[in-house]
Order: sequence, then C-alpha cells, then structure tokens
Amino acid sequence: MNTPAVHCQQIHRHFGDGDTRVHVLRGIDFTAASGQITFLAGPSGCGKTTLISVIAGLLQPSSGSISLFGRDLASMPPDDAVRLRRKDIGFVFQQYHLIPALSVAENVAVPLLAASMKRRDALDQASTILDQLGLGDRLHQPPARLSGGQQQRVALARALVHQPRLVICDEPTAALDHETGHRVMELLAASAVHPDRAVLVVSHDNRIFHFADAIAHMDDGIITSIDHPNSSAAA
Amino acid sequence: MLRSDRAKCTAMILAVTFSVFLMQNQCAILASLYRMMTAQIDDVTDAPLWVMEPDTRCFEQAKPVKDGALERVRSRSGVAWAVPLLKIDTMARSDSGLLCTVTVMGVDEASMVGLPSRFRIGQPGGIRPAGTCAVDPGGYAQLFPGEPVHFPRRIRILDESLILTGMTEASAPFTGFPILHCSRATALRLNKAENRTATFIIGDFTPGANRDAVCQNITAATGLSAMDRSGFGEMARRFYNNQGVPRLFWITIAIGLLTGTAITAQTFSMFVREHTKQLAVCRVMGVTKARIIAMVLCQGLFVLSIGCAFGTGLAALTTRAAASEPFLRGIVLPPQVAAGTCAALAAITIAAITIMARRIALMDPAIVFRS
Repeated sequence: MNTPAVHCQQIHRHFGDGDTRVHVLRGIDFTAASGQITFLAGPSGCGKTTLISVIAGLLQPSSGSISLFGRDLASMPPDDAVRLRRKDIGFVFQQYHLIPALSVAENVAVPLLAASMKRRDALDQASTILDQLGLGDRLHQPPARLSGGQQQRVALARALVHQPRLVICDEPTAALDHETGHRVMELLAASAVHPDRAVLVVSHDNRIFHFADAIAHMDDGIITSIDHPNSSAAA
Repeated sequence: MLRSDRAKCTAMILAVTFSVFLMQNQCAILASLYRMMTAQIDDVTDAPLWVMEPDTRCFEQAKPVKDGALERVRSRSGVAWAVPLLKIDTMARSDSGLLCTVTVMGVDEASMVGLPSRFRIGQPGGIRPAGTCAVDPGGYAQLFPGEPVHFPRRIRILDESLILTGMTEASAPFTGFPILHCSRATALRLNKAENRTATFIIGDFTPGANRDAVCQNITAATGLSAMDRSGFGEMARRFYNNQGVPRLFWITIAIGLLTGTAITAQTFSMFVREHTKQLAVCRVMGVTKARIIAMVLCQGLFVLSIGCAFGTGLAALTTRAAASEPFLRGIVLPPQVAAGTCAALAAITIAAITIMARRIALMDPAIVFRS
C-alpha cells in the first residue's frame, strides 16, 4: 500500500469575520499517496487554491489537522514550515513564475540556493535535470526567450531539482494549448512520479484526467467524490 | 530582478544621479561660498589678532580704523605685536585698457604681515619697492583674459601706475574681484577716497595670554572691536548668513534631497509592488523573509552605488570645469560634502527599502496560486 504523503482531516478554513466571513473549506478529508498522481478537480471558487495553500503550509487551517509525511503541519512553527517547504515540496505554477532576471539554469537552481547549496553545485545539479527534460541547450537563456511549453518544463525542473517528497502543480496546463499541455503532463508523469514522492495536481482540465491515479472532486469547500480512473479501467 | 527591468533600473539610477549631483553641486557652491566669506581672513596665517571698527561686519564691508589706533592697540598688555593692514576697493585698468574693480591690500612694509602664506610666482620681497604689487591667479585672468602668465606687467589704478611683480596664492574672495597685495605705502598712494591709513590692525597675542581677556581689554581701552581670527570669521559668516543667499542654496539642496527621495522611494515602491509575485514565489519555495529583504536591499544598494558614483562624478566634473573660470575658481567639492550627500541619500533609500521590506514581510505568499 502506498504511504500517505498528505493527510487532511476535517480541514476548515474561513476568511474574515462577522457579515464578511467566508467559509472556504468546510471539512475536507483528503489523502494523497506517495508514488501516485492525485488530481484535485473542481470549478473555480470551490476552494482548490485554499486547500493547496494549506497543504503547502502557506495558510493555517482554521480547524482540523493536516499532516505531511507524518508531521503535523497545523502545529508546526512557521520557520519549520518554511524549512519543510524548502526541502520537501516542489511547486509548478499556472503562470510558471520564472524569474526573468535569471537564466534558465539559475531559475532551476533557486530551491537549491535557498537551501544554501554552493552556487556552482546548484547550477551543476540544475543543468543535469534540465538535460533530462530536454532543455540542456537552453541553460543560459533568459526564460522570456522560451515558449510556454518550454517555460513550464523549466518550472517542472525547478520543482524537481531538490528531490522533494511532494510536488504541487497548480493548473500546470491552463496556460498551454492541448498538445503542449499533454506533453508537459507526460513529462510530469515520467519524471515526477517516484515511490517516495506524491504528486498533487490542481486542474479542471478534464482532458488530462487520464494521467491521474486518483481524482478528488471538490465543490463548495468539500470533497464530493474520489475517483480512481486507472483502477476502474483495469477493472 | 531589477536588472531585468532596464527601464526602471535606469530611471532609478538617473533619479539618484540627478539628486546626488544637485545636492553635491549646491553643497559645493555653498561650502565654497562659506570659505570665500572668510578667505582673506584665513589667508593671513601669521596674525591671529584682528582689531577693527565696531561697525565692521566682515572683511569686505570694513570701515577704516581711526588714526592712532595702532599705537593704542600695541600698548595693551597681552598684545605681542600689531601692524596696520589697509584695504581699498578701487578700479584698475590693464595695459590693454580693460577696466576691473580690484581689492588692494596694503601690508606693513617692514614685517610684510598680511600677505598670503605662499607665492605662486615671485617673492614677498618683490612688492616692497614703491609702485609694485602681486596679483592672485583669478585676478590675473580677469585683468589679462586669455593671455599667458608673465611678469612684470603694468596696470593703472586711478592715475598711478603699478607694476605687477608676482602672483600670490590668495584664496578666491567672496566678491570675485582681483586681490592685489602691495606695501601699505603704495596702497596709501591709491587711497584717494579716504584719508585713513589702516582698515584693520592685525597682530598676535603674547604667549600664554588669555585671548578673550586681551580682546576685551583692547575693546575697553580703544573702543574698537577685537577678536581672534576664528571669531572674525564667525562674525563674517553670521553677517553673510543673514543676507539670504545661503538660505537659497539650502532650499535648492532640500529640493535635491526631496526629488531624489521621492523618485527613488516611489520607483522602488513600484518595483516591489510589480514584483510581488516573484518575491512570493521565492517565499513559497522556502526562501526566508530575511533573505528576500536582504536581496531587495542589495538591489537598492546597487542602484544607490551606481547613482552616487555617477552623481559624484558629474559634480566633480562640473566643479573642475568651474575651477578654470576666474569668477568660479573658489568652488571646490570637499570630500566631506561628497560623502555627506551620498550618506544622506543612502539613509533615505535604506529607509524606503525598509518600508518596502515591511510590505514584503506582510505579503501573502499564497497569491502565487491566484492567476
């Protein structure tokens, strides 16, 4: 059985007080297992972004418990949460969020530099993973010179370079055309999935759902259902 | 991050450059004006005691002392020695016919006290003969514009002919007029408007004498104002301060500081606001707040350093260019002014960045998940 990397129990999160109080997460029970790609799907405003912010330790839940690799995140001091993010979580964003002033290799090296690795070693490690993702010839270029698909591959390299145990992808194909998005997902499935790593993808693009091992459907702040498309196909 | 936004980076560097230049230029002029206010007092290094009429406010606006004052000053206890110094403002005509207002300083022939400490060309003894004098470098350029420096040269003052025998290292005066140093006997021949024979009595205190007490003693006995060199300089600066000119310079300096502060702080604020997402990405990836703030601070200091270097360079160039102009030759850029203005702008920039740092600290990193 796969180890749960993320385990959420009765997560509630609200914003504001009194009349302006908005209850965004209304008792989320959710698990993402290592070695699998878990999708979090649902319409805009259903609370997906808030949930991944809570899972990433960027937001504290109003109530409920959440554990990452067996460690209770809700009671974790903020500095420990930063260290956990730096070491164990990789991020892929919808708009890539590459730093334009840095070269492709430097962008990928950011998580390693943040962990105080020596610059040369960090750049070497970044070059290796960029080679693996087919961008070995773009190391010194600024990200602005790359296509959308290439930029997302750089973002993927940045998310994986420090060998995290959880990769969080926020709408990784939303800014890409279908074909490029499909290729990025293939690359994600091929390079990110690892027995010791969970991959959590937030998406409402049902054309890529077949990459999922599990799909948690969200609506109005709760998980409404969980599908396992690959198991049902096998059955 | 800032380097990638060349337009903003350039705007910030230009803002700092302009601000530093404006402040340094105006500070340099102001500092030089302050020095010029007391230039002729400071040039007389061998006479620390100055005695003058009570109505005298500064070197340029001095009323001649009454005859007999010299002996009365010399007779006071605590006065080691005292000699007269005659100052006249008059018109000179060069051999090419150029008319120019000049300040003539007649020094005691025997002691030659009252001369600047150094001569660029010639010797102090060269002005001892009647009808000779020495001119300062700026004065020579005004009397003989564009002509090579050579001596002797002839000028006329009223109906008297004078031979220039050398060039002193007299400091640039506040008035900008040429400074001619000659013997008092020569100066007396040029002094047609007044029948007084001295403008100041200058001298020295006996060793160990209480300077304040000696000055009070002289004032009580003679009715003249007596003070040491620094006291006279201070009185002159106070007088000029009340004339309003320094205030105008302070206003310009303040404008430079405000402009630099406003542009730099505003551009930095815009920069941080526009790059909030990039900074948030760094936070999400585990870069600490302190490190991000240090990163922004480094970029601010980078802009500041380049701007200060350009601004100081520009101010130094204009000051250097001004030094070759006879009327502007006293203007210099003191290192303290350069360092002080850069430090002032650095303090303001760091304060602006600190305010921005607070914004970064309060930033919600989860914004990276919002498109």
